[in-house]
Amino acid sequence: MKSYMKRLILLTHVFLINIFLVSGQTSYVQKYANSSVFAGIEVGSKGVKMSLVEMDKNAQQNGAFNIMKDTSVNTDFISFTQPSYQATLAALNKFYDVAITDYKIPSDHIFTAISSGVNIQAEKENKINWIDQLISAFRFNFNEPERKVSIVSVRDEARLSHLGIIPDARRYNTFLIDIGSGNTKGGYFPNDNTKDFRLFQLSWGTKSVSNAVEKRLEADITMDNFNRQLTRVLTTAENTEIAYAINESGSYPMSDNVAFSGGIAWALATIMFPELIENSVVPVTYEEVLNFSEKLLKHHNNLSDYYILKTITDKTLDKEMIGKEVKRVNQVFDQKSLMAGTGLLLKIMRQFESVYERKKFYLVKNGAVGWISAYVNQNSTK
Amino acid sequence: MRDAKSLLLLLVSLLLVLVSFVLIWTWGYRFYNKDDAYNVNAKILITDSNAIVNRIRDSLQKVYNETLHSLDTRLDSTLVNTDSVKAKLDVKLNEFFKLSNEITAILKNRSNSADFNTAKRKIGELQSKADDLREKSRVVENENKKLGGILDQLNTPQKDPDRNIKQVNFEEKPTPEKSNAEYVLFTASELKLAAMKGADEKETETTQADATEKLVGSFTVLNNNMQLNNAEMIIVVLQPDGRVLKTSAWESGTFNTPEGKRIYSYKLNFNYLKGEAKRLLFSISTDKYQKGNYTMQIFYNGTMIGKMVKSLS
Repeated sequence: MKSYMKRLILLTHVFLINIFLVSGQTSYVQKYANSSVFAGIEVGSKGVKMSLVEMDKNAQQNGAFNIMKDTSVNTDFISFTQPSYQATLAALNKFYDVAITDYKIPSDHIFTAISSGVNIQAEKENKINWIDQLISAFRFNFNEPERKVSIVSVRDEARLSHLGIIPDARRYNTFLIDIGSGNTKGGYFPNDNTKDFRLFQLSWGTKSVSNAVEKRLEADITMDNFNRQLTRVLTTAENTEIAYAINESGSYPMSDNVAFSGGIAWALATIMFPELIENSVVPVTYEEVLNFSEKLLKHHNNLSDYYILKTITDKTLDKEMIGKEVKRVNQVFDQKSLMAGTGLLLKIMRQFESVYERKKFYLVKNGAVGWISAYVNQNSTK
Repeated sequence: MRDAKSLLLLLVSLLLVLVSFVLIWTWGYRFYNKDDAYNVNAKILITDSNAIVNRIRDSLQKVYNETLHSLDTRLDSTLVNTDSVKAKLDVKLNEFFKLSNEITAILKNRSNSADFNTAKRKIGELQSKADDLREKSRVVENENKKLGGILDQLNTPQKDPDRNIKQVNFEEKPTPEKSNAEYVLFTASELKLAAMKGADEKETETTQADATEKLVGSFTVLNNNMQLNNAEMIIVVLQPDGRVLKTSAWESGTFNTPEGKRIYSYKLNFNYLKGEAKRLLFSISTDKYQKGNYTMQIFYNGTMIGKMVKSLS
């Protein structure tokens, strides 16, 4: 009975992945006249992701490579269970197959990598052999024993994210900070070359802040109490870690721009600036985020797609696209997660606010495909 | 002996029958009464639902009244001191009162079917509009203070004759947007938008959309009143299809105008010395240029201070 259930779960996973992938296959449109298309397949903590990236010859100068397709399947590999392993392998195989058969991308234009999050978790739980087994099974399935499947380190991932997200013109004056769910990482290039990278890390992320607040709530689960406890959690985080980590990074005198990526950056950019729906990056000020955090607490209802669409008067904007994306943000982040993420963002931004010099802040929306795009770019030009 | 035994059994049987009757009668009675109690509870439930409806209505009414009250106190003083922006405030106020009437109508509806979700949503909108009005009122108050300061400065007789001449020039200087003249400290002149082809030294101007590689804009700004460490000019270039031209996501963003949020193509920050005619330059490039009219608009503090049109064929 038990083995029957396991098989059923596995078959359901594989069936759903196939349906998802087949339904997701549409033709893509190239943006540049003289370009090549590459695929990057990444096994991440949450699932497997495939990005089809169009590389123009000038992509690195203007930072505007074209992400033609970005597809992901949640397989929860880091739970390290048989069903999650089988689902991850099935997704990996399917993405590779789709890239070759449907998108006609040559095998040497397809890059496969395992993210640092998976590796860290596997090391913690002593499950490195699961990664090795996954790579071997994938190679065996396509009869490509020499296929390179890299395991990317935290430093490499942060460095590649910088290379993938930040355009060359801003390479040496931009500090990139990726606010994840469980931690925050990023860095900058201090010595005018892309080899030396100064890594920056915090043990706080959107979810970890939210969890710490939840633990303090006790019986009073009102938003006012959540906000009160959030202030306390973030003040402690600022005094014990954030201020110290940013000072230690030495980024203040070296950076004119501070760019934030990660889920919360995407969410805020989408809700605060729906007019800039087509922009992958939006400029923002500390005051704007501060006002938004107050709005989050008092008027969260007004952040629905219905209300946001009502406030848009520009007829040239794609309201349908805006509505869909705002809805997606509200599905991924509830009021508490938004408050936790925004609070953390404000605490980090605050370290760069000064009477004498103000840094320019940016929210990056496509941070999720940043490092894999750079990985593709780095390997495609070798 | 045997008769005595039979009699005892008969008595016990009779007693059991009697007890059974009593039990059956009690169950029957309780069952009958339970139905009644159920009916009473049902009635109470109905009454409760009415109370809930009323409570929701009352709580919404309270939020609504608080929103109106919090706005009234701030807005009154603003309206007294507001002349030039009155028309814009009137439009906003009309929207506000229209919405408040709609909410009143919903809340007055005493039937249970009153749509409280709609009322709640509308109150949310009302609160947001109230915030908006409060913000506008604050801006107007600040602007009035600033203007008052400038007027005081202008009314004070100056010993320096050159300074008096400059003040006269400022007063007589025509500005492109007369209605907001009081709030504009900068004027823009010599606006130019050129389409360029070729690179570096071989760069030449063109009027052909197909040949265009970038648009180069320039204009001169003048401010006779203030020295600013970080002045900011916002440039909007509208394409023939009405969409804002953007070089890259890193250069563009949004800014606030009295008409609402708008997207800009480029933002220029500069240091400014009072009375200096400063020439500002920018360039914007995109993948493909449409044929038709390109409109360049210059904004300062959310107010348009210059505008020109360039045609590409």
